[in-house]
Amino acid sequence: MLLSIENLRTYFYSRSRRAFVRSVDGASLSVGRGETLGVVGESGSGKTVAALSAAGLVSGTPGVIGGRIEFNSRNLLDGLERYVQVEERDGRVMAVEKDESGWRRQVKRLMAGVRGKEIAMIFQNPRAALNPYSTVGAQLVEAIRLHTNIRNKQEAKEKALHWLERVRIDSPRLRFDNFPSGMSGGMCQRAMIAMALSAEPSLLIADEPTTGLDATIQARIVELLGELKAETGITTMLISHDISVIRRLSDRVAVMYAGTVVESGPASQVLQPKAGHPYTAALLASVPDAETIRTKSPLQAIEGEVPDTIDRPRGCRFYGRCNRVSDAVRSRCANLEPPLAEVAPGHKLRCWLHAA
Amino acid sequence: MKLAAVKPVSRVLARELAVTALLLAGVSVVVFAILYFAPGNPLHALGVREAEGMANTWPGQYAAWFGKVLRGDFGHSVRTGLPVLPELARVGLNTLYLTLGALALTAAIAVPIAVHGAAHGDTAGNTAATMAAYVLSALPVFWFGYIVVYVSIHQFGMFPLISGTATKQQHAWLYFLVPIFVLGTASGTLSEMIRHLREELSRVLAEDYIRTARAKGAPVWRHAFKEGFLIPVTEIMSAKIPFLLGGAVIVEQVFNWPGMGRMAWQAAQDRDFPVIMGVALLAAAFVRLGNLAQRVVFTAVNPRASRE
Amino acid sequence: MRRYVQAETFPRFMALQRADALDLAYVGYGLLVVALVFASYLIGAFGWLPHDPRAMNVTLLNAAPFTPGHPLGTDFLGRDLQSRLILGIQAYFLPGLLAITISIVGGSVLGVLAGYRGGPLETLVTYFANLVDSFPRLVLILLVIAAFKPDIYYVMVVVGITGMPVIANLVAGKIAFLRQKSFIEAAHALGLPAHTVILKHILWLNCRAALVIQATLGMAEAILIETSLSYLGFGVQEPTPSWGNMVQAGANYFLQGNFWPSTAPALAILATILGFQLLGDGLNNILEGKRGR
Repeated sequence: MLLSIENLRTYFYSRSRRAFVRSVDGASLSVGRGETLGVVGESGSGKTVAALSAAGLVSGTPGVIGGRIEFNSRNLLDGLERYVQVEERDGRVMAVEKDESGWRRQVKRLMAGVRGKEIAMIFQNPRAALNPYSTVGAQLVEAIRLHTNIRNKQEAKEKALHWLERVRIDSPRLRFDNFPSGMSGGMCQRAMIAMALSAEPSLLIADEPTTGLDATIQARIVELLGELKAETGITTMLISHDISVIRRLSDRVAVMYAGTVVESGPASQVLQPKAGHPYTAALLASVPDAETIRTKSPLQAIEGEVPDTIDRPRGCRFYGRCNRVSDAVRSRCANLEPPLAEVAPGHKLRCWLHAA
Repeated sequence: MKLAAVKPVSRVLARELAVTALLLAGVSVVVFAILYFAPGNPLHALGVREAEGMANTWPGQYAAWFGKVLRGDFGHSVRTGLPVLPELARVGLNTLYLTLGALALTAAIAVPIAVHGAAHGDTAGNTAATMAAYVLSALPVFWFGYIVVYVSIHQFGMFPLISGTATKQQHAWLYFLVPIFVLGTASGTLSEMIRHLREELSRVLAEDYIRTARAKGAPVWRHAFKEGFLIPVTEIMSAKIPFLLGGAVIVEQVFNWPGMGRMAWQAAQDRDFPVIMGVALLAAAFVRLGNLAQRVVFTAVNPRASRE
Repeated sequence: MRRYVQAETFPRFMALQRADALDLAYVGYGLLVVALVFASYLIGAFGWLPHDPRAMNVTLLNAAPFTPGHPLGTDFLGRDLQSRLILGIQAYFLPGLLAITISIVGGSVLGVLAGYRGGPLETLVTYFANLVDSFPRLVLILLVIAAFKPDIYYVMVVVGITGMPVIANLVAGKIAFLRQKSFIEAAHALGLPAHTVILKHILWLNCRAALVIQATLGMAEAILIETSLSYLGFGVQEPTPSWGNMVQAGANYFLQGNFWPSTAPALAILATILGFQLLGDGLNNILEGKRGR
């Protein structure tokens, strides 16, 4: 496993509501070398925050408060216990004390040489994610000079142009001198991908890379990512709420709901509407695919809303919206949270319907 | 550094110059209007009469007056009889030193507090500094001047009340620093400067592209510099020039500093219209110049600015 | 170290609880100052002063504060400082109100015109704003004083006019915001007449908080200007006290080591301007929901 996240908890404190927003509430997932893990879930499921936690980019407070993130056999949350004290009651976190500046310094130490170089990240809304005051070429050259052995500006420019070509951007020499405001979203995303990959990282985290782009452009970017994956064999953690993107690019899939992982396993197994977690099934049923288009079956919206991450009731998080609850398991679903259990080799589920 | 222009920079600058010219024209109209409606017919004192061959209507008088102004003829001081513009130019330089020096000092105090506040939030030290800034901003600058004068006389044996002709003294240049220190500290603009700079920097630090820079392992300050520092600093400094000029009028009184402000005060006492008119015009011109300079910086740095 | 605690129940007065303690302190102090100023104005206006502010007492020159009979001491002519300070408020109170009234009324009109009609009117208002900002206030005031007369009310008209652009921008901005939320469209669709929409809905219901804040800040500005002017000798003349001319009169004594006659009025200026400033900024922070870390 190149990246292994265990029991991550990232909370944000809302002053206006005097309560914790439990964005990531005990999530565990892992990415093996060379594979692409697709992390899927609705907005608010915590998938983006989990990725940001892995990259040490969480800026809210208190932020990461517990868990273990192993990257290349190094714990990226090393020493967290020294900076955080958590008070729990009945298994719920009621108070947190955290030395923020100290932890920030620690993260800086831990991530030095890792961020950008070994773990690279691309984001959604690519036009906003690039510095509007600097040319695309300059930003690319900066990344190259930071993370490769190339120091000479001319050499770096050559390398940058090479990467712009690799991401199939049109007229690379022209685009090199463009500002992000002069480029379309799709081109900006290609540039950002180039910037991330030019450092030749071990892990690429792609946070909703197609969100914010036109539909046709989305397909192109997905295509590009697929091609680059085949060319470089890079390990990727792909986050998206768009199942078609996940399906197209992932080897393994993790489904997140309300801050935790409810199902994880090989893509072929997880993305099956029949077996598996009721939430996964519901997600799949709400999105059109070849089958449903052919049979013209109605799409099923998921009843209810994503739970408020502030006041979570006991029991399974999906209980209120689950349409497969049977009387046999109802009392357990309502009162006890199911553990993430292995139901087949490599395939884990968090559901009383499948647990022993 | 590549200039950010999409369209030729010269075109954008031409537009800024045009706007500045329009505003200066407006300034002249305001000053003229005040002179026109003033009892005692000050325009006559400036030599704008019917005999000039112009119709005795207000546009005619304005044209005659403005023509004189453009030629550099601001009339003659009622009190001294000397031509106004050369006198003002001579002392105006002193006011310039005072104003710009004080502006730099206020910025030098504001920047560290603002940057620290944006980067680290409301620490105890930062809150204390901000409160101190509030007090300094409400402090009457003339009283603060007296305190500084008293201290410098009794502690350091310096007599900064002596006007700028004290160049024979050993530490002459120190005398110039004292009024700059007073105005720079107590100009009344400190807390606003801190607030603006901190707000802007905080806003920029929360932008997506800064997060990308962090993800890239790149130094954040390099990316936040233009939008979070350079532009806000030049913006707020140019905006506060009029306030510092006003403060200069007072500080020049306290220190008997030979500048435009003191001349303006004297002129207001004597109803010396040419002088006070000249001060108003020059001060406004200086403000607009500062604003123009700031717009130049903004255009040079911002790729979207030249995209109209 | 920061501590975050999950609340058990929801607190009742949310706005108050949400507000930073510091901002509440600022507002509290500000309100205290406003109350004192208003009370002092009334006392001065009705002449209920403890001593005659012009009465000189040669036996009690330069008395320190807490001298019996003179809680704030006396000045270099033996005049009671407390009475003089109270009377000094007359110099700026009504003129200041005039200035802020002009700013708010004039600025609102301009803002409504610019926001409602937009287009060339907006450009005009922007031009006016930039024009007014081109002059250092004091210089413009000196010009007006030289041209007309050193009357504080003339001066405050100028101050009021120079304060209009800020209000205009505020109101125009609010209108743009409401327009974006289709609020204005909806109001018209409901058949509300334009003047009702403007006066009641836009200005009163939506802008009043911001306008109050601008009023307090404007008052702080007016006090600063009046005290600076009277310091320079253009305001009320001796023996009538104004805080500015009191500082000026005490200047020579200050440099000789007798600090109090200049310092008492200076501290009054400081405390009062600070009060109005903190009131405005504190209210502003509370209203915007201050973003702490």
